[in-house]
Amino acid sequence: MRISTSTLYSESVTTLNQLQSNLAQTNQQIGTGMRMLSPADDPAAAARAVDLMQSDTANTQYAFNRTAAVNTLSLSESILQGVTSLLQDAKTIAVNAGNGVLNQTDRQTLATDLQGRFQELMGLANSTDGAGNYLFSGGQGSAQPFINAAGGVQYQGDDVQRKVQAAATRQIATTDSGADIFMRARSGNGTFQTAPAAANTGSGVVSRGSVSNPALYNGNRYQVSFSVAAGVTTYSVTDVTNPATPLAVAGQTAVPYVSGQAVSFNGISFDVQGAPANGDIFNVSPSVNQSVFTTLDNLIKTLSAGGSPTALRQGLNDALGNLDQGLSNVLGVRATVGARLRELDALQATGDAMGGQYKQTLAQLQNVDYNKAISDLAQQQMTLQAAQKSFAQISGLSLFNYLR
Amino acid sequence: MGNGIYGIGVSALKVAQAGISVTSHNIANVNTPGYTRQELVQAAMLPQNTGSGFFGQGADVVGVKRNYDEFLNAQLAEAQTRASNLSTQLGLAQQVSNLLGDANGGLTPTLQSFFGAVSGVANAPDSVAARQNMIGSAQSLANRLQALDSRLSEIRSGLNGQIGSSVTLINSYAKQIATLNDNIVRAQAQGMGNQPPNDLLDQRDQLLNQMSQEIRVSSIKQPDGSMDVFIGNGQSLVVGSKASTLQTVSSPTDLNALEVVYTNNQGVSRIQQSALQGGNLGGYLTFRQTVLDPAQNALGRIAMSVAESFNRQHSLGMDLKGVLGADFFKAGVPQVSASSNNVGNSVLSATVNSTNALTGHDYMLQFDGANYTLFDSTSNAPVQTFTPAQLAAPQVVAGTGLTLQLTAGAVANAAGDAYAIRPSASGARDFGLLVTDPVKIAAAVPVRANAALANLGSGTVTQPSVMGVPLNANLQQPVTLTFTGPATYTVSGVGAPAGPQAYTAGVAITINGWSMQVSGTPAAGDVFTVGPNTNASTDGTNVLQLAQLQTANTMVNSTASYQGAYGQLIAQVGSQTRELEVTSKAQTSMLGQVSKAQQSVAGVNLDEEAANLLKYQNAYQAAAKAMSISQTMFDSLLALGK
Repeated sequence: MRISTSTLYSESVTTLNQLQSNLAQTNQQIGTGMRMLSPADDPAAAARAVDLMQSDTANTQYAFNRTAAVNTLSLSESILQGVTSLLQDAKTIAVNAGNGVLNQTDRQTLATDLQGRFQELMGLANSTDGAGNYLFSGGQGSAQPFINAAGGVQYQGDDVQRKVQAAATRQIATTDSGADIFMRARSGNGTFQTAPAAANTGSGVVSRGSVSNPALYNGNRYQVSFSVAAGVTTYSVTDVTNPATPLAVAGQTAVPYVSGQAVSFNGISFDVQGAPANGDIFNVSPSVNQSVFTTLDNLIKTLSAGGSPTALRQGLNDALGNLDQGLSNVLGVRATVGARLRELDALQATGDAMGGQYKQTLAQLQNVDYNKAISDLAQQQMTLQAAQKSFAQISGLSLFNYLR
Repeated sequence: MGNGIYGIGVSALKVAQAGISVTSHNIANVNTPGYTRQELVQAAMLPQNTGSGFFGQGADVVGVKRNYDEFLNAQLAEAQTRASNLSTQLGLAQQVSNLLGDANGGLTPTLQSFFGAVSGVANAPDSVAARQNMIGSAQSLANRLQALDSRLSEIRSGLNGQIGSSVTLINSYAKQIATLNDNIVRAQAQGMGNQPPNDLLDQRDQLLNQMSQEIRVSSIKQPDGSMDVFIGNGQSLVVGSKASTLQTVSSPTDLNALEVVYTNNQGVSRIQQSALQGGNLGGYLTFRQTVLDPAQNALGRIAMSVAESFNRQHSLGMDLKGVLGADFFKAGVPQVSASSNNVGNSVLSATVNSTNALTGHDYMLQFDGANYTLFDSTSNAPVQTFTPAQLAAPQVVAGTGLTLQLTAGAVANAAGDAYAIRPSASGARDFGLLVTDPVKIAAAVPVRANAALANLGSGTVTQPSVMGVPLNANLQQPVTLTFTGPATYTVSGVGAPAGPQAYTAGVAITINGWSMQVSGTPAAGDVFTVGPNTNASTDGTNVLQLAQLQTANTMVNSTASYQGAYGQLIAQVGSQTRELEVTSKAQTSMLGQVSKAQQSVAGVNLDEEAANLLKYQNAYQAAAKAMSISQTMFDSLLALGK
């Protein structure tokens, strides 16, 4: 084929340009460490890479959220632990106060001690997190959740739980409503409560009892009334759910009374100890919600009132029962906190594994294979040098060189 | 005889001189673009008939031939027009591809840091610092979207300039070809029609070749030596010595885009833009239609989706001061333009009814005199046909996310009237931030539910969620649910349903535009209250929902997240660029081969010319020698007489 002189030059220039551009591309790949310098280099991988980058960033954000959740929940947990040991201490004090050798002064000292504990409990219930928000006020972080008002401690917060996005499809509550922790403990034994009527004159003290057969318990209100006739004490149980029409409970009329013997009917059972007087009445009613503050306050009042031994015994009995209920309520919340912390741990492990996966895939998509790139570079360099040398030689060839 | 030898010698000298002249001309033009190698054509003179045979009379120059192959030249022009078309498109597409795919400069980093900031508010709803960060990140997102869009718009206005200069070049070439035509016809006439004006022809071919770089042309040679040049669908640009011109005008439906029109002595006429193919001009027009418009639309669609879905959720919330949420972002609206050629002056309005259904395509509504038909501008396929009566009321166009309505003007529309609708073209440009006060981020929900402290049953309540916009007027009215038994409850409060309600655990209870669930077994007398979520500084329920929009499939008929749609955009532009890279490379090598083939015929080879120089030099010397011998012979004759 006939080659024109200008073709010779322009072809060489085109080739040299192409080789230099390849070399520059490889050089840039090595310099940046990126395989794709523009989406056009691998459009599918580029689109996949931005998706993965989002997944990876979101995953990092979830990890950050989880850390925040773990911090808040751990703080809650340690505060609830404080509440637990405080209530246990109060229980110990209540047990000690029943000791017969203590006089009223001693009991007053215990009451003062308990008063301090009460303030401490208020402090714990009004705890704040690192940012100064109240932990147990629900959605109203700036509102003090518990205030000591005239009618006892009142809850000012709400039932809103603060949540974080702990994983793509999982939101985890980081706080609990103060009402659930402190206000919603059941009174009595958790199902029903027993109480002597205020007008009782005897020394009868009623236990908090238990449900012996849940199937038979109907949640009605009952009255156990004692009568003493000719030195014989008997009691009768009536259903007073509707006070206008009291109904006698079958088989529970004029039952002979033995101190400490179980009074059992309709699936529940409790006992009365001591010597009830004629006309003394003990009421049985379904449990209600009673705050631990009220329980503690009642105990303090019982200890500092200096009432009769019967009133003291009854008061301590009630306090012990209510403290148990308060404790189990707090423990119940602590259990859910623990469960959430465990779930966060599990999510953290999954999240870490996924993060590693994302980064690895992203690296495979984006990062340059240095072995290949450097060998490419060496090869391209050699080709370019060869092309330059051959151009120099060819361009020197001319017949005119020989015409002198 | 002597006279004959002299004559032959002189003719040989003349021919050799002419040969050296042609060769020198070739050497002189070795680097002249478009130059075609010339060759001396020589022939023996008519012989003299004598009794003893025909005696040659020497040589004569017949002409100067241009080594020219019309077929190869046409191939070269075609290869040239394709190569410049593709490399123009490639250069422009690379700009878009690099702009959108840049790991640091694209949308991805700002979108992610924005949602990171939203999560930050969710973690600390009362933190003004976190809220300020969210506002700042939202502003960055808006800035980035606007910056990307303005860069695309810069490319667009740059295109207008390039289209203008390309048209100027084409006009200039056309004028020069017309002038050359005139010169060639005259020159050819002077040469009695036998001798071609080689260098003028070269110049004209070179101009045609240069014109091919700008646009695809076809040419026809006339017997008188002139050449007619046509473009597009046969519009004649040059006829003989007359040149028509191309002009740029604003598109009747898009003032921001230039169109090319054709002007001759009959006035201005439109050319179908898709007929202008090949060359740089075709490249600009194709790039605008196939890469730039879709990219800008796709970016706008993402911006409009972000604004719409974020606004919708944000409006369901409540800010730090207890004020109900409002729009967070400013969303762009569809661009509608009535063609400037419209006879009637009815006004078309287009609104987006669902950003989820937006396609990223442009549309054209055309009136045929009886009905209006909506066409997809990308595929030119009809989407839906409306009667004028239908369009007088808002019409939801299925599959487009658009609602159209035509308000009749004083002058009725005539057949051929058209409206261009670009639903998301300005979405990214008009994306902005409406909430700039950190306090006004609606992180909380407007209502909350509480179980009464005295409740004895096991019933628990989930926090209510707001059903949607528009918000119910009674949304925040206090409502109390009182259970009268394990399976019935009554509701009191403004907007509450009357009478006993049946309770099923876990079934949503919806009143006043909120919805919540009670589960478990409430006891008779249990009370749940729903009321305004006052003082809710640490309630981040709504902002958690906002954060989840990052990964929610809110686009492309619920198949893609914002990021997914952006990934699609990158993949689309990337693969277009990739395709152009490959075809452009192939076409460039094709051009190289065709050019080599053409040059193998028409190009000057200096070695060859050197050999020719020697050839003619030798011929000259030999002719001189013949004359010298003739002289010697004559001298011998003269010596006889002494």
